[in-house]
Order: sequence, then structure tokens, then C-alpha cells
Amino acid sequence: MKEINLTINGKQVKGKEGDTVLEICQANGIDLPTLCHYKGLSDVGACRLCVVEIERERRPVPACTYQARDGLVIHTHNEKLERYRRLVLELIFTERNHLCAQCVASGDCELQSLAYKYQMDNARYPYSWPSLPLDSVNDYLVIDHNRCILCGRCIRTCDEIVGVHTLDFGYRGWKDMVVADLNQPLGTSSCISCGACFQVCPTGAIFSKNSAYKGRPEECNKVSSVCPICGVGCKIEALVKDNRLVRIDSPDLTDKRGILCHKGRFATLDRNHERVDTALVKNDRGKLEPRPLSEAVDIVAKKLAELKSKYGNNSIAGIVSSQASNESLKAFKEFITGTIGSELIDTLDGDAYRAITQGINAYQAKAGLDTETSIEEILKADCILVVGANPLESHPVAGSYIARATKQNKAKLIVIDPSQNSFSYHTALWLKPKAGKESLALNVLTKAVINKGSKKDSTQVKKIAASLKNINVKQDSEQAGIGANELLEAAEILGKARHSVIVYGDGILKHKNPGLITSLLSLAAITSNQGGGKPQIISLKPKGNSRGAWDMGIADLSQSIMKNLSGNEVKALYILLADDVDISELPNLGKGLEFVVVQSSYLSSATSKANVVLPSPTWTEVGEKYSTLDGMVKSTSRLIKPADGIKTDSEILREISKHMKK
Amino acid sequence: MAKVKVATVWLESCAGCHMSFLDIDEAIIDVANLVEFTRTPITDIKEFPQVDVGIVEGSVGNTEEEEILKELRAHCKILMAWGDCACFGGVCAMRSSFDKEEVLRRGYIETESTYKGKIPRPPGVPALLDQVKPISHVVKVDCYVPGCPPEAGAILYALKELLAGRIPVLPSEMMRFD
Repeated sequence: MKEINLTINGKQVKGKEGDTVLEICQANGIDLPTLCHYKGLSDVGACRLCVVEIERERRPVPACTYQARDGLVIHTHNEKLERYRRLVLELIFTERNHLCAQCVASGDCELQSLAYKYQMDNARYPYSWPSLPLDSVNDYLVIDHNRCILCGRCIRTCDEIVGVHTLDFGYRGWKDMVVADLNQPLGTSSCISCGACFQVCPTGAIFSKNSAYKGRPEECNKVSSVCPICGVGCKIEALVKDNRLVRIDSPDLTDKRGILCHKGRFATLDRNHERVDTALVKNDRGKLEPRPLSEAVDIVAKKLAELKSKYGNNSIAGIVSSQASNESLKAFKEFITGTIGSELIDTLDGDAYRAITQGINAYQAKAGLDTETSIEEILKADCILVVGANPLESHPVAGSYIARATKQNKAKLIVIDPSQNSFSYHTALWLKPKAGKESLALNVLTKAVINKGSKKDSTQVKKIAASLKNINVKQDSEQAGIGANELLEAAEILGKARHSVIVYGDGILKHKNPGLITSLLSLAAITSNQGGGKPQIISLKPKGNSRGAWDMGIADLSQSIMKNLSGNEVKALYILLADDVDISELPNLGKGLEFVVVQSSYLSSATSKANVVLPSPTWTEVGEKYSTLDGMVKSTSRLIKPADGIKTDSEILREISKHMKK
Repeated sequence: MAKVKVATVWLESCAGCHMSFLDIDEAIIDVANLVEFTRTPITDIKEFPQVDVGIVEGSVGNTEEEEILKELRAHCKILMAWGDCACFGGVCAMRSSFDKEEVLRRGYIETESTYKGKIPRPPGVPALLDQVKPISHVVKVDCYVPGCPPEAGAILYALKELLAGRIPVLPSEMMRFD
């Protein structure tokens, strides 16, 4: 990039060709006020606070949209410009309702801070008092249009960073306002409630129901951590006041895995689930009653030791949720396979683990989960194939990456899914195979791509081609429920792509069919080989720490222990749910079981059937390690202290072990 | 030296600014040595003499408030606004986005705890203005101390500036709108 020389306020400064005047000012420590500018977003010059005088320009120009040139002579601070800036603030203040005393953002508002800076101590202009609606239909977000200054940051964030482009301007001129989709309430729109708009809003126009009036930033502690909820592993920054979570933000929206979604940003602050805050033991009348943790630990240790000597090691089985941290998972594995000596251990997502691992092994022996690529590959892709997954709902940040790639790289998005998908308006092609025919559809597509003429005649491609020799594209595509033309169009797109990435998820994993995974890998091998790399494929895993549990090889690879408790003559079950709230995979805990221990953060149908319930902290209450779905190990930090007496999962498991070994 | 004569009023407001003034604590003794308070809500004197400084808390929401404000302006050399209501309209101005009849209906008839409510309209009760105004939209104002309420320190700063013969402008770090 060519270097340019400018004069700002009489001082010689350097910049790069293509920089805006604002960027050069900021790089040189010249503080210009801004409202519509936000780091990482495109600039639009909406607020006019950064106006500067440039010699030979007839009037002041906004620095944020003015391309710097060699030799410019710029003045940023003089009496006239400062007067203009204050005037702009005064006009903004009187345009809608900016009375701070009754505003949720007071004390954390960029408009207010600027008014203080410019000593704006009165309202010179008449107020216009529009009566604008307040949209509170969304579960987490409220838009108060009366507080909006139309800077458009939310709109640009929604489009450029999140990629969903729900928000935009509606109406014209005086009636201009931010609208969702075709002017719908936010809660009924295509909004994914990621809350990025809330983070960038400079005023109190967009606020969160979970954070409102809980505390101002200056009263809070800031703690940096990582969100382990879905496995993308976004960086977070939590505001904490009096051991209460006030707000969770992204430390940098433009950073890798910095967007956040409703789960990390908002659901973490929800208190919809009743906590297990003390150990509970079932009494003689069959009711759970609170007991000191040490007593409950003793009961569990005695009972398990008794059953172990009576029925043998394999009468006790362990089930763990892959929502648990690496520390908890490791301690659980040691406890079940070591202390108890049982071979019967499973994870709630064991079926997905078995399907993926067996599928990968059939594709290439011992390839392992490292066959998968990182989520960031999506951002580089020119073609994305989403198969049986709805990332915008299950892993919203991965979904954002896909949406952004379609907009920013003009990547073609092909969806293969019998069910509805949130990507409707990003999708170039939507193939809907008949339910149960997904595998055939994938094989036909692979064959069609090979027929289009694969550039690399590697042994891998030859091997895959040989395995598909019985496929007839035309006939079999109809068998699979996809029109041959559509299928050929998809093959054409995939064939032309330089860098295609396959993302699959729940819709594939629910079939528990390793063959599907092998088919996907073959397709990935064929399409990725066009660019000459390794297969670009990512599975969106069921739980936040699935990858951690799978890398540890916790679940039995040959059978589902969980679904076959009676067949294995299991008498006692130890279930570690940690802070997982989705226990739909858990088997019926009724028949044949003499003793059930559930260790969980939350009360549920599972805890109500347990003989002993032990408390788990949530991820916000401990600092532990989690693996992202693409295999990076990330450490969380403790955001808040757990209630008195709550110990980590591994501490409790080790205590039980100690008691059992006595 | 003759004491500086001051009159204060509270218009549409909560009295919080005057309370904040009392929060200047022991500094009030120094102020009292230099200042003579004439008509104020605290002294309960009803007439305005000619004063040096008039101080207004509150916004203008009805005809009576408008009249009092104009009378004070006519009786003072320097007029100072205290608080967000006087400077900007403040909390009282929340009603300005609505029709005033709607506001009365909501207040006297529709509130959840009201049974058989009626809007009182006896003669002599001042009529509501269509909109609540900051005082600068009614009369000329010389200086402002915003805040809801203004910090005692900001009020003291403004008074000291006036006593030193300067028109106070709050420095940025003293500015508060809440």
C-alpha cells in the first residue's frame, strides 16, 4: 500500500492510500467524536460529528467517509467545527426522546457522554416529540425507537458481521426508522436474537431485558472467558456486580468467534431452570430431602460399593453429558472405569459419536476427528454445502459465518435437507431428499460431481468412483426424491468451486448411520480435491463439549449402553449431567434399577427419579477447559461464585472414590 | 457588602433539586452569609421582590407554572435553571409524546386502581399545556445546572461562580443528566 503524507492541524502525518481521514486521525491520536462509526463496520457518515475542514473543500466533510489523499491539509478542531458538533448533538437530542433520567442506558451512552463533553446543558431547539412504538416482542431484546438516533450501526452489524440482515431502514426522511424485515416486530422476524445490535447501539434504543437496570458498567467487574454452550467457543466478556451476571458482551465483534449468539449472550443470564443447590437424598417415603453434601457422598459411596460387591463391576453404568467440562469428563471416566471398574459408560451424545467415528473409520482407517476442518474455513469458502443442519439455530455463529460467506464472498450455498432451514434467502439451491434417502442423495451427488470431471485423478477419487459404480445419476436422483436437473445444477456448482466446505449436523446424526458420514466424507473428498486440499467438512455436534468427550473416547464405540441398560443387567446408574438442560436422550430410569445418582446443576425429570441428587456448578461458576467442535481446547474463567457448599464435579467424584476405597 | 438577593421556585418537579442544594452541607453556612433568600419554597414567602438571582427547578407544564416563571424572570437579573426538568423537560416531559386528554384519561380514569374515575375540571385549576417545556422555551435563561437531581457539588460550583461575578458553565466532568 502506498504511503501518503498529510497535514493535520499543522502537523505532518503519514497514512496509507485507501485510509479514511478518520482512520488516519485515530492512528495519530487525534480524537474525533463519532456516533455512527464502529470499528469493523463500513462507514456511512450518518451522524456528522466527525466533520473536519479540508482545505479547498467548500464545506466541512465527515472524516469517516472521506478518502485521504496525498497532500491534504486538514483541520479537525477549531471553534467553528466544535460549534457544528455541539449543534448536531443538540439537534439529535431534540429530534426524539433523549431524556436521560428515565433511560436504561444512562451512564453507558455514547450520545450522553458526548453531550457532557460538549457541555450541552440545555435544549436550544423545540422538541418534536414523536410518539414512536416500542418493540418488546423478542424474548431478549427491546427496541425503543424513541431513543434511536438512526446511526445505522445495528443495521450494518446485522448485515456485515452477523450476516442475517434482519434490520434495515424503513420509511423516508422524517419518518425514517429501523425496521425488522418488512416492518415486523423483532420477535416474529428473521432475527436470531444474537444481540450484536444491542452491543453496538450507542444509546438506549436497543436494550436487553436480561441486563436492564441491573448495574452500570462502571459498577461492574469485567471478566473475560469463553462460552462453552454450543462448541463454537466464542470469546466473551462478562460484567458482574455483587456476584450477579449483569451482561455478557463480545470483547470484539469483528474478531474470530466474537459474534456471540442468544445462548451465550442472553440465555446464560436466564434463570428459567430451578437449581440443585444442595445434595438431595430420597427418604423412606420416597421423597427427596436436602442433606449435607458429605452425608450424600457417603451414602453414594456405600451403596455403590455394596452393589459392586454384590453384582459385580459391570452392574454399575455411567452416563455423562458432553456438556460437562474436560475436567469433569476425565474425572467421570476415571471414576466409572477406574474406581468402579465398569466397562459400561456412555455419553448422552454417544449415538452421534459412534456414527461419526465409525463413518470416518470406514472412509479412512484411523483418520479420527482431525479429518474435520475448522469453522473459519467457512469464511474462505466459495461454495458451502449444508446437509441436515440448521446452523443459525443450533450453532448460530457458524450460521453467521455461512451467511457472511454468501454475501461477502458471493459463496454459493447449497442446502440438502428435507426440513425447513433458516437460510431461505441465502440459499442458491435447496435439495430436499425423501426422508431416509439422504445417503442415496449424497452418493448420487458425489457421482454427478465425478462425472462432471474431477481434475485430480487421485487414488482416493478412483476409490470413491469405484464404490459408486452402480449409481445411475438420473434414475437414482429420482429415487432419492430430487429432480435430476437440480442435482446436476448442484454438481455443476460444486464442480466449479475452488474451495467448498461441507457442514452437517443434527439432521444427519439423528439417523445414527455411519454410512451417511462416509458418504459425506467421500463427497467432501471429491469436492475439496478440486482445490487440492484435505476434505473440508465440519460436523455440528450435539453438545457444547462433544468434541472433548469424543476425543477422550468416553463412550463405548460398539454399542449404546444407555439404550441397553436391562440387556446389560445394570443395577445402578451414575448420571453426570453437569449444567445440561437437554436430557431428551436420557433413557427411562424406572425399571430394574436399584440405585440412581444424578449429579446436575438443575432439577429435572431425571433428578426427581434419582435416589441421590448431587449439585453441579454451572460453567459460569468454575474455570475449566472445554474443546470446541473443531478441536481447540479453550479455558473458561469463573464469572461468579457458586452457592456455598457447591463443589466441582470432579471434586465430588474424587471424594466418592476416596470413600469407596476406604 | 450587601447580600446577594435570591429567589427560588419549583415548578413541575419533585423538589429533588432543592434537596440537592441542601446537600451542600456545611457550605450552606458560607452561602447564607453571602446570600439572602427571599421567596423560596423553603421560606414560604409568596411575593417576588426584585432579586439578583432567580433559580428555577422544574419544567413548565401548565398555565400557572408559565405565569410564575415569567413573573420571576421579570423580577431577577440572572435566571438559573436547576435540574433536568428546567434544562430539558426531564421526567415531567414524558407526557409530551401523548395527547394531553389521553394523559388525563390515563391518570384519572384508566389506572388499574381507579374505580369510577373522573377527570376533575373545577374552575381555577390551571390548564395543562399541550407539551411540557424546559424553561428556556418560555423565558430567557442565563445559566444551567443539569442533573436529576444536580449533584450538590455542581449546585455549589454554580453558586460560587455567580458570587464571583461570573456566569457559570459546568465543566464536562460535572455534567450529569441523571
